[in-house]
Amino acid sequence: MPKLREFFPLEFRILYRQFLSRVIDLELLSVHADVPRFLGQFASILVLISLSRAFGLLYAADGLAPGAYVSFAWRGQQDLISSTMLLVGLVTIASWDSTFPDRRDVMVLSPLPIAPRTILAAKIVASASILGLAVLTLNFAAGIAWPLVIGSHHGSSLGFLQALAAYWLTILVASVFLYCTVVAIQGLTSLLLPRGLVLVCSACFQMAAVCLFLAVYFLQPTITSVEMAGTASAWLNWSPPLWFFAVFNQLNGSLPPEFHWMAQRAWFGVAIAMSGAIAGLVLCYVRTMRKMLEQPDLVSGGHSLRWTPRLGSPLQSAVVLFSYRSILRSRQHRLAVAAYAAVILLIALPWLQIELSSPRTLPVTSDFLVSTFVIVSLTVLCLRGVFSLPISLTANWVLRTTQLCPTEKYVAATRLTLLLLGVAPAWLVVALLSIRLRPWHEVAVHLLILAFVGWLLAEVALINFYKVPFTCSYLPGKVHIQVMFWCAMFLLAAFAITSAEVELPALDSGVRSLVIVAVLAACGLALWMLNNHRAKSAQLYFEELPPEVITSLGIGSLPQQTPSTTFL
Amino acid sequence: MLELRNVFKCYSGIPAVNDVSFCARPGEVTGYLGPNGSGKTTTMKIITGLIEMNSGEVRFEGKPIQDDLISYKGRMGYVPEEPYLYHHLSGLEYLTMISQLRNLPEREASERIDGLLRLLTLHDDRHASISGYSKGMRQKILIAAAIMHNPELVLLDEPFSGLDVGSALVLRSLIRELAARGKVVLFSSHELDTVERVCSHVVILHRGKVVADDSIEHLRSLMAAPTLEDIFSQLAVEQDTGAISRHIADLIHA
Repeated sequence: MPKLREFFPLEFRILYRQFLSRVIDLELLSVHADVPRFLGQFASILVLISLSRAFGLLYAADGLAPGAYVSFAWRGQQDLISSTMLLVGLVTIASWDSTFPDRRDVMVLSPLPIAPRTILAAKIVASASILGLAVLTLNFAAGIAWPLVIGSHHGSSLGFLQALAAYWLTILVASVFLYCTVVAIQGLTSLLLPRGLVLVCSACFQMAAVCLFLAVYFLQPTITSVEMAGTASAWLNWSPPLWFFAVFNQLNGSLPPEFHWMAQRAWFGVAIAMSGAIAGLVLCYVRTMRKMLEQPDLVSGGHSLRWTPRLGSPLQSAVVLFSYRSILRSRQHRLAVAAYAAVILLIALPWLQIELSSPRTLPVTSDFLVSTFVIVSLTVLCLRGVFSLPISLTANWVLRTTQLCPTEKYVAATRLTLLLLGVAPAWLVVALLSIRLRPWHEVAVHLLILAFVGWLLAEVALINFYKVPFTCSYLPGKVHIQVMFWCAMFLLAAFAITSAEVELPALDSGVRSLVIVAVLAACGLALWMLNNHRAKSAQLYFEELPPEVITSLGIGSLPQQTPSTTFL
Repeated sequence: MLELRNVFKCYSGIPAVNDVSFCARPGEVTGYLGPNGSGKTTTMKIITGLIEMNSGEVRFEGKPIQDDLISYKGRMGYVPEEPYLYHHLSGLEYLTMISQLRNLPEREASERIDGLLRLLTLHDDRHASISGYSKGMRQKILIAAAIMHNPELVLLDEPFSGLDVGSALVLRSLIRELAARGKVVLFSSHELDTVERVCSHVVILHRGKVVADDSIEHLRSLMAAPTLEDIFSQLAVEQDTGAISRHIADLIHA
């Protein structure tokens, strides 16, 4: 232990602890949040995924037909590697600023006698710790089950050990590749571009990266035989998860000669990404830290439009615009929305592809209805979830001292926000997807039903929501997020399938369509009235910071006296 | 008139504001003074309705503020001690949002915001994000937001914090001007020099209790002290400042 302490000096350990806690933005969480428990809940979701995969793999391998092993093995390998890379990508984007020095680091740490290399080392180790923990949690069970399956077909007694080493080494190298690629791009942009432009580019890059990672994960074809390589050559050329699939087989001694070039490409990619990341980081720490001190604090907002749209009453305008700007300008909110938008795009893209490639008009199918219900419900769910990420708890006093309207007016403003920023864009996407669908009256009825469903879901989201969006959080650690996550997924699927089953047979009957619309309208109206009625007696809730208690150092008294508690 | 009657507030059983009573009248600037931790900001927050008192009463124009808090908030402007703002908005967007929340007519709000931004020399940076503003610029945004709706009661908690000399002189005159136009102004500050120039009446708080509530002139003659600083030292400073500074110097020297 003393040797370890010598190896990691005190300032490194202090900075490491500090940076580790900053990988997660605490400002986003409630002041009443139980942060360790909150992280534990996320970990438990990953653990559950890992366990279910491990048991699934063992069960599937047990009943495997002879001759199906290669296809099964390749499918499993690609799935495990792709999901690990997706997780690493999302965590790296979520902790975007954690590796590079920010302005706060520069202002606080520059005057202190700490070498930039110590700051750099502490930041890298802190980021690596979080990434390592996430990867380990996702793979702890599957990472043993899979080598067991592979090892049993290896033919030698060392098969399990070789597969185990190959698996974990591949996971490590794939994670390093993705992390270093993101860091290299970040480093390069901050070196080449002015600071203001870097911030804009970073925002775009983060959103694009989240969409890209999800798109690759969901759209990438699974290679189950060497023959398939010809049909999916573009994916083999450009998809890193497939390169690392080749690396695993190379390390495991099971790589077909046709895929050697892919493994080579992976190693080459790792070398380039690592060199780029190291160069970017070193240059940034040498140059950017100095540049940050020299740059002016105030960055012009450019040529913003003076015109502010009127969206209902002034209060409604204020709440809608505040929400829109919060989503657009806060990194965490933007990323959360980008993740949902990526999922919605992934649902929409195949339909768009069918529409564009089909020479004829298409009928309204059950699959299409399910997809559209998922798009609308997911949008409302996403927006309601993002509303619970506070933008700045300390600034809530502004809204409290200007609360001149009763609670129901604020509920109405939040309803408008949900409809304008959630339901309307989702409805427009579905309307665009429906252009080639026929007959017209069925499409029109479906769009009408979807609009009512959107309104109904917005009313459901408003139940007991007596808050201004982005001013309160959902008590992370106190709410069972792992239970809510799985319940929401189950309910979403059940709702979309049931709705489609009810709607499809009714589309060709005018009376039955009218009945559905009437029922939805009545339910929406009832919920609207209920929400308004309850809001009349409810009080608008703002999350409070704890009382401003300060502990004086007692320097105003004699040195022997004990510290006392005082209030601001 | 703003009137506090036996206001009491405690945190975890420890009194922060203890039986505080005083009046702030229209047409005069009332200074609210006290050392750090004496309960000034807690009192200010009670007056704004941000925190609830354990007992006592706050009245404005003769009515308890809790009777119609919404209408009271519409007549009040508040500059808090710390410039906590929504940093993702620009100065213009922030002020527009406040005007909308206060339900000001659009054209009138737009004219006032434009005028305030120009007079407070923020117009050129109105589209820049507040996160890039200096402390003084944020303070100006707070001041503009607090007065744009022409409030009858103006609560200023350390309003000079971070302001440059020119802006501080403007604010000093503005406080006098607001009082001259019949508004109730309650002004908390550690800058005794400014308080002495601006305020006609002071309330001094010490350990949560009011230890003086009178005009500065009367306090001067009563305590035989030539300046407000001397009055304040006698009433609210318990420390031997010379001894403490020697202690600090000894401590770092050792």
